[in-house]
Amino acid sequence: MRLVVRTFSELCITVGGLIVLFVVYVLYWTGVQAASASAGQIDTLQREWSSTPVRTAAPVPEVVPYAPGQGIAVMYVPRLGEDWKWPVLQGTEVGTLKKGLGHYAGTARLGATGNFAVAGHRRTYGDPFKDFPRLRRGDAIVLTDGTTWFTYRVDRAPYRTVPTDVGVIDPVPAKSGFDGPGRYLTLTTCEPEWGSSHRLVVWAHLDATRPVADGRPQALDS
Amino acid sequence: MYGWIWRHLPGNAWVRALISIVLVLAVVYALFQYVFPWAEPLLPFNDVTVDGQ
Repeated sequence: MRLVVRTFSELCITVGGLIVLFVVYVLYWTGVQAASASAGQIDTLQREWSSTPVRTAAPVPEVVPYAPGQGIAVMYVPRLGEDWKWPVLQGTEVGTLKKGLGHYAGTARLGATGNFAVAGHRRTYGDPFKDFPRLRRGDAIVLTDGTTWFTYRVDRAPYRTVPTDVGVIDPVPAKSGFDGPGRYLTLTTCEPEWGSSHRLVVWAHLDATRPVADGRPQALDS
Repeated sequence: MYGWIWRHLPGNAWVRALISIVLVLAVVYALFQYVFPWAEPLLPFNDVTVDGQ
């Protein structure tokens, strides 16, 4: 009898300890891992960009499709924080989203006509989109691919929808208020903060481009 | 359970304590490296895309 009670209590303590460790892992350790992974991705991109000379007058380079998991661009959103900076990787696989934001395969290329759609974690893995609901009309979303700065402007406060609403990442997103083809950007994340029943969506349109050689766009320093 | 492990460790109390610490660290490492990364995607925090599923 004593043995049974003792074993049972030990089991309870063990399970309790496991739960505490798991919470530490989810809340803290995933953030540590995402911070180092995303910093590594940004470093890789910047090394790549500095080793290839910026072509200005050269013929338009052949468009190489993005490879899955490959770094595409670095995103800056001043509204989410002065130091807010995350790499955008190709694909929205679970493993890819652990290292940064994910570009939906099959949506437009950065800066191209169509919809450049990007998904990111609201919570865990560094909480990139924790303050997503604070985005408002006119906020800048700035991206660079090493040759050009793309400044997108948010068109409306986040729109709440269901996970099956794939129309939000269409070339001309449904319900966005855009009425014709254009150079758009869509961000998606989960809603509520710790749940998965809904999604939050933000749409933006391309407002300005600027060669990297001309320096950072004003939107980043205001 | 823990008493059983303790009794089956070799050496005196100090050696056993040392081995216990190493064992605990090994278990925590295995959890963080293999078990939790497997379990975490089963929670809803990973669903950030619209995918029609």
